[in-house]
Amino acid sequence: MMDRSPKPPEALMRAIAQDLKPVRPSPQPLHLALRMVPLALLVSSLILLAIGPRHDAGILGPLLTWGASAAQFVLAIALVWIAAHESIPVGRLPRHIVYSAAVAASLVVVFISLLTFSTNPANEPLLRVPPRINEILRASPWIMGFACGIGSTLAGGILVLFFSWVFRNSLATRPAEAGALYGAGAGLAINAGWRIACPVSTPWHALGAHGAAIIATVILGALIGRFLGNRRLHIGGRRS
Amino acid sequence: MSEGDQELRALMIRYQDGSLEAFQEIYTQLAPGVRRYLSHLAGGSAIADDLLQETFLQMHRSRAAYNPKYAVRPWVFGLARNVFLMNRRAARQWAKVHESREDLPEFPVLPEADRLGSQGEIRRCIADLPPEQAEALLLHHEWGFSFEEIAGMLGIRAAAARARASRGMADLRVALNSLQKART
Repeated sequence: MMDRSPKPPEALMRAIAQDLKPVRPSPQPLHLALRMVPLALLVSSLILLAIGPRHDAGILGPLLTWGASAAQFVLAIALVWIAAHESIPVGRLPRHIVYSAAVAASLVVVFISLLTFSTNPANEPLLRVPPRINEILRASPWIMGFACGIGSTLAGGILVLFFSWVFRNSLATRPAEAGALYGAGAGLAINAGWRIACPVSTPWHALGAHGAAIIATVILGALIGRFLGNRRLHIGGRRS
Repeated sequence: MSEGDQELRALMIRYQDGSLEAFQEIYTQLAPGVRRYLSHLAGGSAIADDLLQETFLQMHRSRAAYNPKYAVRPWVFGLARNVFLMNRRAARQWAKVHESREDLPEFPVLPEADRLGSQGEIRRCIADLPPEQAEALLLHHEWGFSFEEIAGMLGIRAAAARARASRGMADLRVALNSLQKART
């Protein structure tokens, strides 16, 4: 049995002494979440910068076009804030807050998608691209679905990787859950920008293609969170 | 903030700046309490010693994750709980946690219950409490954490932490009273 005196064992002291370089303290959850805003905003605006806002933005009005996306973006940052709370041993939020935020995020996406469709049921893939491409997209709407699904998954994936790097020191008790939360934040942030650019508002497209991309980033975040958690708290102290 | 908390925070900041002596001092101050807590979580298993070292190693690896706004003791206790839970998830270690051990966990005898029974009886009764009640009871009454701090460690509301601790204390009193009656 190990020495139970309050003096640290020599093996532990050796391990500590080997790496004592000064470190900068992590910011608190709110500051951490706010630091994500610029990059999340940039990545979520890429598609918007590339193809511009949807052709029916005038019909939808600024509130449903920009306001709904802004609300979705704020919710995304709130999810990252909750993930940051989950990542500190003394800051965990009650379960009902975590689950309520996850449910609220899902409902907001569904609500905004349905509201957009009911305001203007656009199913014509009218993009600011050469007319020939619009013709192809009109003939095969599934191409648009794949493009949105894969495109927003890739953009969300970039954001998840960035969040994972920021959360690399996470001390979450449930690292997969914390990862899923910032993955959901990434997915929601990307969707906030994507929906302003995507000209198709049918529920199968908005929820099927865009929703699938959000689910993919949640899964990616959970997997990365779990991987980082297992690597950090290496069972049996193999890293020691 | 108490003087002890202030001192620990100052030590933690020095440790983040690269002071080995500050780490030693933190270990000296916190290790005995953390070990008892781990022993309680692990049901008295000898794995508590390994988990204690793992906790401090983990604290070292993640020392950047500490923000001086947090109180150090609940942060380290929360980390110890985290280390325990992660280890429990690994099947091999889980088996080790459940290795039978004859003596009861070394968790302390609560001053509030001291006059109601012997140390052995109190330990046995605490061990018989639902785990979440026993944990909240000990964190509050033995290690002196506030209900807000316990809530942050366990991911529950402060009111729920208070309810668990007081239900635990009530059940403990009932169990000790019935033992006393049985004796007389």
